[in-house]
Amino acid sequence: MLFPKSSLLVLLFLCSALASLAQQNISGKIKDAVSGKPIPGVTIRVPNSNRGTISDADGGFTLSVPSGTQQLLVSFTGYKSQTIKLSGSSSLNITMEEDFARLDEVVITGLATTVKRSNLANAVATISAKELTGTAPAQTFDAALSGKVPGALITANSGAPGGGISVKMRGITSVFGNSQPLYVVDGIFFNNSSIPAGLNDVTGAATSGNPNNQDNPSSRIADLNPADIENIEILKGASAAAMYGAKAAAGVVIITTKKGKTGRTKVSLNQETGFVKVRHLMGVRKFTAETAADLAGAADNPDPDVQARRNAYKQQFTTAQNAGKIFDYEKEMYGETGLVLNTGLSLSGGGEKTTFYLSGNRRQENGIVKHTGYFNNSVRLNVDHKLSDRVSLGVTTSYVYSSADRGLTNNDNNGVSFGVALSSTPDFVDLHPNNLGEYPRNPFAASNPLETRDKMMNNETTNRFIGGGNLEVRLQQSDRSSTRFIGRGGVDYYNYKTAALFPRDLQFEENTAQGHSIQGNTNNLNTNIGGFLANTFTISEKATLTSTAGATLETGYMDNIVTVGTNLVAGQSNVEASANTATRQFRQKYRDNGLFIQEDLVLLDAITLSGGVRFDRSTNNGDYKKYYVFPKGAFSWNITKMKFWNTPGIENLKLRAAYGQSGNVPPYGSKFTALLGSNIGGYPGILVDNLLGNSDIKPERQTEFETGLDVSVLNGRISLEATYYNKKIIDVLLRHALPGSTGYASEWKNSGDLRNQGIELGLTLVPVNTPNLRWNSTVNWWRNRSKVTRLIIPPYAIGAFGNSLGTFYLEEGQPATQIKGTVGSELKLIGNAEPTFQMSFFNELTIYKNFSLRFLIHWKNGGDNINLTQLLTDAGATSADFDELTHGGVKKGVYRPGAGDASIYVQDASYVRIREIGLYYNVPLKNTNTIKGIRLGVSANNFFTWTDYVGYDPEVSNFGSNTITTSASRGSNGLSTGVDVMPFPASKRASFHVGVDF
Amino acid sequence: MNKYISIISAFFLLLIMNACQKGEINSLNTPVVGGIISNPTRSDLFNLVTGAESGMRNSFAPYLDGTGIIGREIYRFSSAEPRYTTDLLGGGTKVLDNNTFYLTNPWNARYQVIRQCFILQGSVANAREEVASAAQKKAFTGFAKTLIGYQLLLNINMTDANGARIPVADGVAQGPVVTDPAVVLDSVLKFLDEGKADLTGSEVIFPLSDGFAGFKDAAGLLKFNRALAARVHVYRKNWAAALTALNESFFDLNGSFSMGIYHYFSTNGGDLANTMYLAPNGAGEVRVAHPSFVTDLVAGDDRINKTALRNASASQGGLTGNRDVVIWTSLNSPISIIRNEELILLYAEAKIQAGAIPDAIVALNRIRTGHNLPSYAGSATTAALINELLYNRRYSLFMEGHRWIDLRRYDRLGTLPKDRPDDDVWTKYPLPQSESNI
Repeated sequence: MLFPKSSLLVLLFLCSALASLAQQNISGKIKDAVSGKPIPGVTIRVPNSNRGTISDADGGFTLSVPSGTQQLLVSFTGYKSQTIKLSGSSSLNITMEEDFARLDEVVITGLATTVKRSNLANAVATISAKELTGTAPAQTFDAALSGKVPGALITANSGAPGGGISVKMRGITSVFGNSQPLYVVDGIFFNNSSIPAGLNDVTGAATSGNPNNQDNPSSRIADLNPADIENIEILKGASAAAMYGAKAAAGVVIITTKKGKTGRTKVSLNQETGFVKVRHLMGVRKFTAETAADLAGAADNPDPDVQARRNAYKQQFTTAQNAGKIFDYEKEMYGETGLVLNTGLSLSGGGEKTTFYLSGNRRQENGIVKHTGYFNNSVRLNVDHKLSDRVSLGVTTSYVYSSADRGLTNNDNNGVSFGVALSSTPDFVDLHPNNLGEYPRNPFAASNPLETRDKMMNNETTNRFIGGGNLEVRLQQSDRSSTRFIGRGGVDYYNYKTAALFPRDLQFEENTAQGHSIQGNTNNLNTNIGGFLANTFTISEKATLTSTAGATLETGYMDNIVTVGTNLVAGQSNVEASANTATRQFRQKYRDNGLFIQEDLVLLDAITLSGGVRFDRSTNNGDYKKYYVFPKGAFSWNITKMKFWNTPGIENLKLRAAYGQSGNVPPYGSKFTALLGSNIGGYPGILVDNLLGNSDIKPERQTEFETGLDVSVLNGRISLEATYYNKKIIDVLLRHALPGSTGYASEWKNSGDLRNQGIELGLTLVPVNTPNLRWNSTVNWWRNRSKVTRLIIPPYAIGAFGNSLGTFYLEEGQPATQIKGTVGSELKLIGNAEPTFQMSFFNELTIYKNFSLRFLIHWKNGGDNINLTQLLTDAGATSADFDELTHGGVKKGVYRPGAGDASIYVQDASYVRIREIGLYYNVPLKNTNTIKGIRLGVSANNFFTWTDYVGYDPEVSNFGSNTITTSASRGSNGLSTGVDVMPFPASKRASFHVGVDF
Repeated sequence: MNKYISIISAFFLLLIMNACQKGEINSLNTPVVGGIISNPTRSDLFNLVTGAESGMRNSFAPYLDGTGIIGREIYRFSSAEPRYTTDLLGGGTKVLDNNTFYLTNPWNARYQVIRQCFILQGSVANAREEVASAAQKKAFTGFAKTLIGYQLLLNINMTDANGARIPVADGVAQGPVVTDPAVVLDSVLKFLDEGKADLTGSEVIFPLSDGFAGFKDAAGLLKFNRALAARVHVYRKNWAAALTALNESFFDLNGSFSMGIYHYFSTNGGDLANTMYLAPNGAGEVRVAHPSFVTDLVAGDDRINKTALRNASASQGGLTGNRDVVIWTSLNSPISIIRNEELILLYAEAKIQAGAIPDAIVALNRIRTGHNLPSYAGSATTAALINELLYNRRYSLFMEGHRWIDLRRYDRLGTLPKDRPDDDVWTKYPLPQSESNI
């Protein structure tokens, strides 16, 4: 409906027939200006056409150009682009200079347009393949982002195999709406839901302290194979991401996968072999006969029962000690060394018209807990085809099979998860099976964690297909104007199967539910489609105007069915082999569509002005027909490109400012007040949900203003990028507390405004650049401050587990991330989850051309966690420091839980971490025809951490980050990261790498 | 070029078709409130009744645990939840939290059922004559009002002088927090009386679970309603009214103690299991009788069988118990709402307070002999009989949510033992944070 058909036809008529003119062959060589090494992979292109080629392994190229061609464009990632004037000679020798400040890098700003970094108005973070996985690969894609995105707070939810990461760009974007960025892979919207396996049926985690689901499933973004990624661009907020519409309020991560290049077929084989180990163990309490006895009650307790029990424990301890049977169960549980095997094979190449990239990857890892692990098989085929000089088509397809065995961790109320059971299990009890394989009953907990580990299963298996196409047509071409049509569409389908099995002979099952088999099946289909017209009009030598108009549509349908069988037939997992079954189903469906126009004006290649507007609607809004309007505008002025500028040494000086709005649609179902199934005695019943819907719900509106200064001096060897932003969330969507006496615990409401202000500084240095030693260094520093600027509802606690244990508390005029808790009998401010600042430090040293050392240090300063892991070990009398004395001779483990001071468990979670360190060697090859390159390397990921935090890891989140909300269970919210309740401990990894190119 | 025109046109057509896809996406998972109120079918009404009955069980376990722990009937040990032994017993300097599960979960669940009952009434009012006749409609509303009264009673039992709000129908503005428990209890009585009026002469067509066995018709529900009223009248010290209500209830001095109305539980699909059941001799998650349970028990009293001696005593936080609570023997065991044994005790109490001592002693002896104790031989003074009554209420209604409230009624919370030096006996729960933050 956007473009009347007549105008489309007019545009098409403008296309002239392809002229077939005489041809001329040009060949040449391309070299690095400093080292003199040939550069393979450089693009050589005839301007304003699809005609071009790529340099081969020796830097050579041959290209046939229409006669009369005046210029060639030469470009390559990481090098300065050049325009080469053709002087009639058919042979060219080109030297390229490295683009240290990345000024010529092309950045995607709209859905169909790009801009050079030197003209960019936003701070867009880019991560190259080398930065993503080239140092020390993480287990999953999401984990590989940690520490690499200035302005983002990236937190691993747990160490369980298969990932689970929270990414928050520029503070709190939303509390109950989507707080996680949109992932777009080659134009396909990539679903990143976390779907619980139904473990809550066993753990009862959400049944008392906090109704939010705490299964902590993996995020589906983890399915993506990091080795396929060529480049990532991160649009952090509405000022940059507005063109992506409603799903982009929390930022957009634009992922481009590798594409084939014209020329010889390149085969690359990579093998990673390594191990994972627990990053840190908290330690356990060393009991003595006396402290063992104290478990029953104080020595002066007059109750004869207590005294009898004291003696029994004393006896038990002494017997165990004499038999040498004192165990460190924490070590036994989490102390495994897991093997990492990761094999990748890729083929890429192609001819003039068609190029392809084909890759396969197999990753297999064992976890730090027995019977846990991660397995991922993926294949990808990307094909690009030029139908003609004017029409090109790209197709990307990928299939992923992933399987994660994640154990049973996190909060639970039944004493069944590994950590909770361990927290009350002292070292003098023997939990090991006898020689018949029978596990003793654990008298100190509801379960024997060794038995649970060995007999249970918690598996997530995903089969996923992602496919998309990109059609680009040069509709019209003249000296001054060029018009393109871009059509793009994609499908993301997955089947996600969860299987949790707890056999009936487990300690906690045998006398109660007698076994659980929880089988979940989810089918999810997301589609997105868009069509864009982009016209570039050269008004004069000095001014270029780019106009874009387009329409987008996204749909989604998810169907999640979980069947729970209890009272199982012995040895069976089929839900049919059970005495009782219950089935739950949750479906959600949405349709979002948007229209937009954008104008970009570039003057003198120095001043960029752009403006655009987007209209969005969604079926999740109260009024599904209404279009909401979101404008954006941007300005940048690169002073060094002005004529008057002649200060030597300063190569780039740019002022920039951008403003944009975007909407975050309400979650599915927020406009309804549901009646949930609630049966009794075989009769079907419906009970009003305690969450009141709101038929007037509308999207929360984000407005973001950012401004900054970019400077690079000394030929780009020192570059500084400084950005300030002010991001406001208007009409923030809250599931806010109602007085319980209304019958509703909470209500959906657009309840106020939030603000995030922050600073991002990036400094890129090349301190040394000689043929034999090259040192690149990037330092990023960033901070964010969030504040609730308006709240039209009373302040309220949104979790974690009540005031006495510290809770996030939304209150006007206070930081959105503040933590309040009961101290004495008062509710006081006791912490803030937001870091004071974060800093990352990436270095790459290239020595004698073939050695390279890379490392990334990440410092998070400040930001508090609610450490309930320590609370549970205190309550279970197993904290490592339990017997240390404090406050006038009280044992720490006794003092802390009884002090009536919630601030004790709200603890600073600062850390300094060497996220990645790797040393690689390119084996110099001589006189080989088959093998083109051999790489060897060693790497370590998350290996060294300095922190005072007591838990397993300062990065933790009991509630996950984007767990879906179903009719009967509440998902994650945008605030509750940093709640630590017996997580799967974080791991560290080290690997050896071999890569061979043929 | 022509072939590209067709490709592009097809692409655009597809896009336009999709973009023009119309229609709202409705709730795919559940019925929604608006729909069910406007024009209900008979099944809709039945489903709402079933939901209300079912909802009464939600978070009832933390109510029983909380009142049982504060009333020193039990200890609840949990490796996952230390607050059973800290907050609820006042361990260290801990106080009751106004924003956590042991308060907010039962509080919200009770008001949720009340909201459901108002929705049921609204729905019934809009039901066509063919769906339910006038007499049939009265049974729905009478049942709904009875439940409202009962659910409100449980909440004011928790917060007492910290107050509660009187629930109001959909769309009516909420009133203030009423901090005089007597006023709230009178409101409970008002709901019960209105329920009685509706149930009188009504016809029940809706199904109820077997927890209501014997009370599923209008006459039975009326007796249930009056039994609850008798309890509230006793709380309000309306002794005569209590005796009148007892007469209209299923009170039977010589009847079975267990006759009454129960929450039905089941492990069947879609139903709720009784989480008050914990396997005996379990570890980690344990519900043991407070040590005073046995020490205060008269020898020979068969009510000791509500607990069972453990193989090994259980401990947490410096507390130890050696008798598991075994009132509920499986995940399918029902939990009582009100039963004849309580009615006999209410009768005895009303008679004592009304000065009808011989009648009271007959009733107390009915309880004593029913539990393997000899007839009452103590003094016939009001004070002595009240002691005897409270003893019997403590053991007959063990872990049914009464002892703490009884001791508060008689101002005897000070007699409860504090097991650790810094422990406290709370007189009431705080008002939930969500009620005060307005």
